[in-house]
Parts: sequence; structure tokens; C-alpha cells
Amino acid sequence: MSRFSGVLQLTDLDDFITPSQECIKPVQIQKTKTSTGAKIRIQEDGDYYQVEEDGSAFKLQKVEITLSDCLACSGCITSAESVLVTQQSQEELIRVFEENKALKLAGKTSEAKLIIVSISIQPILSLAVRYNLTPNECAARLAQYFKQLGADLVVDMTIADDFALLESQREFVRRYRSTENDGVKNVLPMLASSCPGWVCYAEKTHGSYILPYISTTKSPQQIMGSIIKHWVGHNLGDRPIYHVTVMPCYDKKLEAAREDFFDVNTDSREVDCVITAIELEQMLDKDRISLDSLAESTFSEPWLIKQEPTEVKPNLTCHLGSGSGGYSDHIFKYAAKELFGVEGVNLEYKTLRNQDFKEVILEKDSKVLLRFAIANGFRNIQNLVQKLKRGKSTYHYVEVMACPAGCLNGGAQVRPKDGVTVKELSMQLEKMYEKLPIKSPEENVLVKDLYENWLNGQESDKCQSVLHTQYHEVQKNTNALNIKW
Amino acid sequence: MSTLELVQTLKKDNGRVWNVSWHPKGESFASCSEDKSIRIWAKDGSKYTNKVVLTDGHKRTIREVAWSPCGDFLASASFDATTCVWDKKNGEFTCNVTLEGHENEVKSVAYSSNGLHLATCSRDKSVWVWEVAGEDEYDCVAVLNSHTQDVKKIVWHPSKEILASASYDNTVKLFKDDVALGEWVNSNTLHGHESTVWSIDFDATGERIASVSDDKTLKIWKEYPPGNPEGIPTEDKESAWKCVCTISGHHMRTIYDVTWCPLTGLIATACGDDAIRIFKEENGCDPNAPTFNLVATVERAHSQDVNCVSWNPKTPGLLLSCSDDAEIKVWKFKE
Repeated sequence: MSRFSGVLQLTDLDDFITPSQECIKPVQIQKTKTSTGAKIRIQEDGDYYQVEEDGSAFKLQKVEITLSDCLACSGCITSAESVLVTQQSQEELIRVFEENKALKLAGKTSEAKLIIVSISIQPILSLAVRYNLTPNECAARLAQYFKQLGADLVVDMTIADDFALLESQREFVRRYRSTENDGVKNVLPMLASSCPGWVCYAEKTHGSYILPYISTTKSPQQIMGSIIKHWVGHNLGDRPIYHVTVMPCYDKKLEAAREDFFDVNTDSREVDCVITAIELEQMLDKDRISLDSLAESTFSEPWLIKQEPTEVKPNLTCHLGSGSGGYSDHIFKYAAKELFGVEGVNLEYKTLRNQDFKEVILEKDSKVLLRFAIANGFRNIQNLVQKLKRGKSTYHYVEVMACPAGCLNGGAQVRPKDGVTVKELSMQLEKMYEKLPIKSPEENVLVKDLYENWLNGQESDKCQSVLHTQYHEVQKNTNALNIKW
Repeated sequence: MSTLELVQTLKKDNGRVWNVSWHPKGESFASCSEDKSIRIWAKDGSKYTNKVVLTDGHKRTIREVAWSPCGDFLASASFDATTCVWDKKNGEFTCNVTLEGHENEVKSVAYSSNGLHLATCSRDKSVWVWEVAGEDEYDCVAVLNSHTQDVKKIVWHPSKEILASASYDNTVKLFKDDVALGEWVNSNTLHGHESTVWSIDFDATGERIASVSDDKTLKIWKEYPPGNPEGIPTEDKESAWKCVCTISGHHMRTIYDVTWCPLTGLIATACGDDAIRIFKEENGCDPNAPTFNLVATVERAHSQDVNCVSWNPKTPGLLLSCSDDAEIKVWKFKE
């Protein structure tokens, strides 16, 4: 379990949200009634047995805390809940792979799950640097590694990034117009929703005050979850799917465990297991595999209706703007055009208090039309939230990410080698990202196809229900027992 | 024979008085208490009287109050997880800024010597540095998560932008702004106490720190800058800090507070055994192994735990104390 904690503290950019002092989640224990007090015996292995009057004994249930417990509790506001994360571990992933292999070997192919692994760009770059590979080489070898483990399909998550950007762009324009035209309050600034650390923090500490500002557009991970479970699952004959995502931070595990992302139709989560770059590095180390020694495999494209998935060589692209997804840049450009008819704007960010807080404005006749910002890291989140609370925010949109330097420096990316600082490594990753060919989400024909064939067109009710989500205030419970002078 | 003479006893509050803080001019002081009030006291003739009561700032116990160096602002740290900044712009003291962000109880608050920074610390284990960015504007510039437990107390260096913190994790830590990195960093960790470090104070030069602990000892730490003549090794061009003196055997219970007088060099401690003790450094002793002698003890200084002691910044030997017994006392040290 220790690998889930402490890792975040290895950074010298001391700006992550840390776990709070102690877990205060009250847990319910099923108790059987006894007339007298029960006798409990503790075995050498640490198991607890209740001893009955007749001398018989039965094992007592252990109390386990799940990710869902964490999300429903206000005890911590951590971005790396270092609690007992059992459903989202490497062990669990390996167990599912092995179980599936065993079923296939036993000829019970129909009972086996279809295992699909979706890989996001940030961990690919992180591992590419770690193993000295180009991004495409790294992606192809990761595909091979997962297939060796037992994955059926390995897919590129860019399609979900594109959906998230397109939905965010339209959502922003809707919010802007409703403020301008109808005077609707509490919808601007729109705050990014793709960082679960930030969303979790907002829900637990700022509740109803901040939540209305957070974009309802699902994060790429959860959009990917919908695509895989709803659309691809349906396309591939409604087989049960086990969906794994490869992400740059632990917080994504929390996000995947949210009840909002539990699908009743398939009776499963949209994302069953999240695995991070640093965990992949550990898995490879444990298996004594160097990524650069593996053969190159392909990414699958199971997107088109009633077609067998096509296999393609990984051909990674990047989005304009930050390595966290480029939300600020894309929404800015789209809004400038849609709202003010200004095309081809050149985005020049001005760094404010520190490297992790910068803003960009669109001006016309010395009037500010749009004011956007990128705020990364805990202290900038603090200053942003306090500004909002005091009514002093002048922003229309803020790309908020809990990790300093954003997702390329995600809390579960591979740590820098000795002698390399976190800052140097994240700059290296940024450079690597910027060198990838830029592709705009509007160009993605597959996305267009899915809007038409799956979602009944853009702005449809189905888009709203599949691609958007909601947030919940977590009530604070002050427990008098926790007070320490 | 030195003595600590009681000058005056003040009582207004209904609960324990947590902290007393002299105004930088030394003529008045602020106190805060469990009953969620802040009081400002000043002299009427020869006696201190309560001039102002501030009650509407916090929802829970107020743990500490601190004046800005200019004396125009008063910051209060509360168990309601907020820090308030009060000022007299409108003639009366009003709370114009509420700093939120700590997850739970704020334990201590202090302004840096030039008034440009404010620091707070909390049971949430973090130390925050705020920049005074303008009229009623405080920007968070650092959230320092170096401590592994509850942070009890923070104090600033008397002249530099160096911050010291004391914690339930038994350590004292120093923080400063690393200009090259553009970040506040933990530059030193002082290990030595065997239990919670409750309070710390710099001496007048800032080259030494006194710390007091639940382990019933008072420790003196000395800074050894790079290239020091003693040959104490330093790392990365950072000063090393070494414990040069441990004073034990005097305190019967947890020591809750320490104050190092910038005018006289006297150290006073506030103890859970209800006593106040005064220590004086022996003249001419070895700076690398100084001797501090107990020169005065008031055994039953209060009827319950003494929470805080504070030397007046302008009048040598004038000391304030406050206690769980709801009283504030004014003392005069006489050689």
C-alpha cells in the first residue's frame, strides 16, 4: 500500500494537496446480537475471531474503506487519498488479466471479458523520457506490453480529449451568452473540470459556492469511459468490458470511483481500473522488462459502427496550449470567433504571480472582451477561490489543475532521475509535447462520426447526458473528538 | 537575588486566555481567548484597562493574535480554520480580511519583520505564507507541507524573511524564499526534542532560537553559517543549526511557551506546572556551549496552565503572561 502514499512528497515543488491527518470515516459493522459480551480472540496472523459460549469461533469481518467512502467523506481533502485503495491497484489489474487468461485457456471465451486499455498522452511522454524512446515508439511498446498482459484492445485517448474540448467550447459560449443576454449569475468564470484533484477539493471545502462555476463537461477519462462502455461495447456485440485507463495522476482513481460514473446498464464503472505512469514503471521493473526491449504493437480503432476495429501504428498528436489538454487556448479561440467574430487570435499569456498563474486577454478598442487564465497548483487555486469569494475575479474562464505545472507534471508521473529536478523534467515533457504534430479537435472525423451516429448530433439531449456530469457538495462534519489544542 | 514581581492581574474573559501580544510600541497589548473574543488593553494612568473587545470575527476559539510591525494591523488565528486581519481605518477596529484555506484549526499567526509577509500554521500540518499584496489583499505564496504533524507555532526571524515553525512531530523547521527556485523551501529541520515542540523564539540577532517542548526541556539552537570558524559542516550553502544547550530538570510539566527578550537577553517560559521561569545566560560563557541559569521562578504564577509569556519590546523586564485560569498578569523582572 505504501506506494500510494509518500510519492507526492518526493517533489520539491511543494504544492500538492496533501492528505489530512487521520481518516475519520465512521464505518458500519454488521454485529450479531449476543446476550452477554462477546469474547474475541486475535490469531497470530492478525485475524479476529469471535468465540461463542460453546467454544466455537468465527472470523470477524474486517472493516474496509473504499474509494467511494473517501469521496463521500469530508475528512480528507487529498489529491492522493493514501487510504486503502484496493480496487484500483496494480495487483487488481494483474488479477483481472490472469483471471481472464484462465477463462480463455479453459475455453470459456464467452465468459471472458473484453479488456480495453485507453492510454492518455501524459503518461506516454513520461515513460518515453524514462525509457529514452520517442513518443510513438513508447506508445507502440506500451500497447505491446498490455497485450502481453492480456489486453484485447489498446486505444489512444485523444478521441476523448477532442470531445472534452468541443463540449467545453460550446458550454463556455452557452454560459457567456446566458450571462450577457439573460443576466444569469454564478456561471462565469467557467472553471475547468478535467482535474479530479481540483473537483474533489472544491466539493469538499468550498461546496455550493464554487461548484456552479465548474464546467459540467466530463473529463476525457470519463468521456472515454462512456465511449468504451456504451458505444464500443454495443458495437462489439455487448460483451462485458473491463476498461483500464493509463493516467498521469492518482486522483483519476478517485474520479473513476465516483458514483456519477457508475453505469447501471452494464452494472459497472465506466472506467474499471486506473493505472498511472509511476505504477507502470513499477510493474515493468517487477517483471524485469525494459520498455525499449519490447516489440512495437498497434493501437486499435473500434470507433466505426459495425466494423471490426482497425489497427493503426500509434501516431500521437498534441493540442494547442497547455499539456493539461489545452482547454484555455481552445475555448479562447472558439469564443473569440463565436462571440466576437475575431478569427485567428494569437494567444499571448502574461505570467502573473508565478509560472503557474498566467492570463490572456482579448481586447477590442481597449475594452477587454475575454479574460482567461491558467492556474496550476494548490496555492494558485487558493488565490483564485478567495478572489471568487470576495467578488474580485475578473475572469471568464480559468483552466485549473491541482498539480503545479499541470498534468504533464501529474502526481503519478515517473519521478525524475537523480540529479534532475522536477522542474527540468516537466520542461522536458512540455518540449516533447509541443513537438508533436498539432491537431485540432474539429478536424477529427471520427468525433464527427460519433456525434452523428451515436449521440444524435451536437447539442442533443444525449450529448448532455453522456458527455456531461454534476458535482456534489460534501457536508463538513466537525467531530469534537478530533480537536487537539 | 532576581525576582519576578507581580504588577497587575487582569481578568475579563470567561474561558482560558490563550495568547497575549504586545503592540510594537509597547504601550498596549492584545489578548485572545477561548470565548472567541479579542481584547485590547492599554494603560490608564498606572494600570492597564480593557479598552476594546472584538467579538464578531470568529466562530470558535481564538488561539493567537499578532500585530503587524507598523502596529496598524492585528491578525487573529482561530480554530474555525480562518485568520482575520483587523484594522482601525474606519476609526474602530474592524475585520476587513478573512484568510481561508487551512483545512482545520489555525494555531499561530505572525507578520514578518518588514510587514510584507504573514504566516499561519494549522493542525492540518501545513504552514502558509501570505504576501501582503495591497490594501486588504493577501495572496497565498506558499503552502508548506514539510511537517508530518500538527504545527503549533510559527515565528519570523527578527530581521530576515526566514520563518521558523514548531510541531507535534517533535521538530522545528526553518523556511525561506529560494530566489533561484522561486519557491519557499524548508531549509533546515532541527531534530532533538523528544516530544511536541510547543513554541519557539529567536533572540535579538536571529542567530539563535529557543525552543520549548512537551519533553519538559528548553533548548537553545545556534546558527552556523557556511564557512563558520568552528568548522561545523554546512550543506548547499545553507547555514547549519545545532542544539548548543539543553536545559532540563526545572520544568515539571509540558512547557507551552517561550519568549526571548530582545532588550535584555532574558528567556521566560510558560509551563503546564503553573509556573513562570526566567533564565539568564552566564556572562562570558562559550557561545558553542552556553550556560543558562535559572534566575527566577514564580511557582504558582497562575492557578492553572500558563499558556503564553511575552516580553515587552520597549521596556526591559516587563513581562505578560496568560493562563487557563482566565487571567492575564503583568510582571516586572528585577535583578
